[in-house]
Amino acid sequence: MHGVKRVQYSQAALEAKKQRDHDKLKAYLALSDDVIARKKSHDMSNEAFELTTRLLRMNPEFYTVWNYRRDMFIESLFPQRSPSEVNELLSDDLSLTFELLKQHPKVYGIWNHRRWCLEHIPDGPSPDDVNGYRNSTWNKELFVVEKMLDADARNFHAWNYRRYILATMPFPPPPKSELAYTTRKIEANFSNFSAWHQRSKVLTTLWETGELDRVKSIEEEFELVRNAMYTDPDDQSVWIYHAWLIGNGNYAARLQFEITSIQELLDEQPDSKWDKKALVDSCLELLAKLRDIDPPRRRRYDEIAEGIRSGNEMQ
Amino acid sequence: MTSSSQLLIPLHVRYIQSLGENKDDLTYHLTAHLRMNAVYWGLTALCIMDHKDALSKDETIEYVMSCWVDEAGAFGPHPDHDPHLLPTLSAIQILVIHDALDRIDVPRVTKFILSLQQPSGVFAGDQFGEIDTRFLYSAVNALSLLDQLHQLDVEKTVSYIKQCKNFDGGFGAVIGAESHAAQVWVCTAALAILDRLDVIDQDTLAWWLAERQLPNGGLNGRPQKLEDVCYSFWVLSSLSVLRKVSWIDADKLTSFILSAQDTENGGIADRPGDLPDVFHTIFGVAGLSLLGYPGLVDIDPVYCMPANLIESKGLRKGWEALPRKAS
Repeated sequence: MHGVKRVQYSQAALEAKKQRDHDKLKAYLALSDDVIARKKSHDMSNEAFELTTRLLRMNPEFYTVWNYRRDMFIESLFPQRSPSEVNELLSDDLSLTFELLKQHPKVYGIWNHRRWCLEHIPDGPSPDDVNGYRNSTWNKELFVVEKMLDADARNFHAWNYRRYILATMPFPPPPKSELAYTTRKIEANFSNFSAWHQRSKVLTTLWETGELDRVKSIEEEFELVRNAMYTDPDDQSVWIYHAWLIGNGNYAARLQFEITSIQELLDEQPDSKWDKKALVDSCLELLAKLRDIDPPRRRRYDEIAEGIRSGNEMQ
Repeated sequence: MTSSSQLLIPLHVRYIQSLGENKDDLTYHLTAHLRMNAVYWGLTALCIMDHKDALSKDETIEYVMSCWVDEAGAFGPHPDHDPHLLPTLSAIQILVIHDALDRIDVPRVTKFILSLQQPSGVFAGDQFGEIDTRFLYSAVNALSLLDQLHQLDVEKTVSYIKQCKNFDGGFGAVIGAESHAAQVWVCTAALAILDRLDVIDQDTLAWWLAERQLPNGGLNGRPQKLEDVCYSFWVLSSLSVLRKVSWIDADKLTSFILSAQDTENGGIADRPGDLPDVFHTIFGVAGLSLLGYPGLVDIDPVYCMPANLIESKGLRKGWEALPRKAS
């Protein structure tokens, strides 16, 4: 359990809570025992189906019951129903899971069931339009996941689901539109590491397909990052992204420019000369400073400085 | 509720012993789907606190076997619950700790595990197809404990992990997913078991891991998230495999973990002031063990099981923890 505070109850409050919990527990166990007994006896009736709905509302983490529900769909509810009826049933479950996700946004079983529903949408509504049901439902999913990310921009279940939708939907928006989405998320909050991460993936794709020129794109990224650095220099998302951009180019001049910018930011002395020793010296000076302002990680800075010194000696 | 500067071992042992006793607790019943995991967490915590016998070996084994699903050749988390890779791993780990692996039908369980590998190399948790690097790790760990690793397509498995590598050196749940300390651990530990640590950008990842430490000494799982005791294990054990445990401040982390103890009822919580649970208890104790806290037993950070046991099976890899303090 995460984030559940210890509470001091008065005797009276404790007694009342115990009674409430006891009643809740009785109801839960009765329902759970009933559903499990029906599952064991292979009960595939509508009544059993409704009971799983009730039980899952009480405990959406009970994955065995999601399994049972899916088995009932396949074995008894779908057969002998028209595509339109099957689509209706699945839409109902998509609504149910959306409702549950609002209260339980990080429960794997709910997200899994959503995917299962999407993957079982039947052909239809007509022989000329076999993908109609699918297209309409899948297109709505981006809206659903946007709502979830508006509620919690760091919910990795939602981001993973977003990537799944984009990779699987029949007519996905182009990668550049996803790049714009990450820009929006980043500009709303520079320390949204999940958005920076998504951006790193989308950019890599755009570079690989040639849709964006890598060199020009990286220049623009450095601008975006510089903006973020000045707005919130303590935010690590930006620095980690920055380190990736540096690694992606192999531009010694860019490296020098970046070190200079960082020095300005730290109110350090002006530009080092463009020669190797000056670069090494400024690195070692920065590492000494880092040791002072970030003591928990001093062993790491020591190791890096050692590495620079011994590497430099070998020249 | 005062915090403590010591690990209150007898109190935590009693806490773990009491876990199955309160059948009136709603949370206990709502978490039946995690029961097998919980038994493994409790048992491992007891081992590390050197109180392995605090729970009955026979009753534990009986519980494990009551969760065997014969049609599947696998274990569920609780009687009448569906089989799944996660409880199957925990079941195997419990039986190994109790030297009762002979109770398992190894060929059938191996078949179940291998059947869950996808063409991409990742593993599903069960036949419903959810994929996650947690399941990949569970499969690799389980096969290795069963001495069936030779049946695994290692190249395929490793190639999936490679594709999960992110711009920060970390790993996510699936290809494309954001780095998260728990997923970093499962990928790092799986690569350690498979002797493929070459896949990792070690300096970059160790840096990302070191940056999980917050001013209060606790570790988080991702940038800008809250500290949580369980990351004492996920982050620390990953650093241990990379031999960079020194890159975090051990004293501050130790204080943080100790401050999350429930000094009245026992157990450790996710952070000071919260309700304890067995999940945070094992990972807090495991973290302390890796930090060299005195009086604890060594834990293997790759398997999250007693180190000498893993070593006796010839499965110890080249990880490094801090030396055990005398007092």
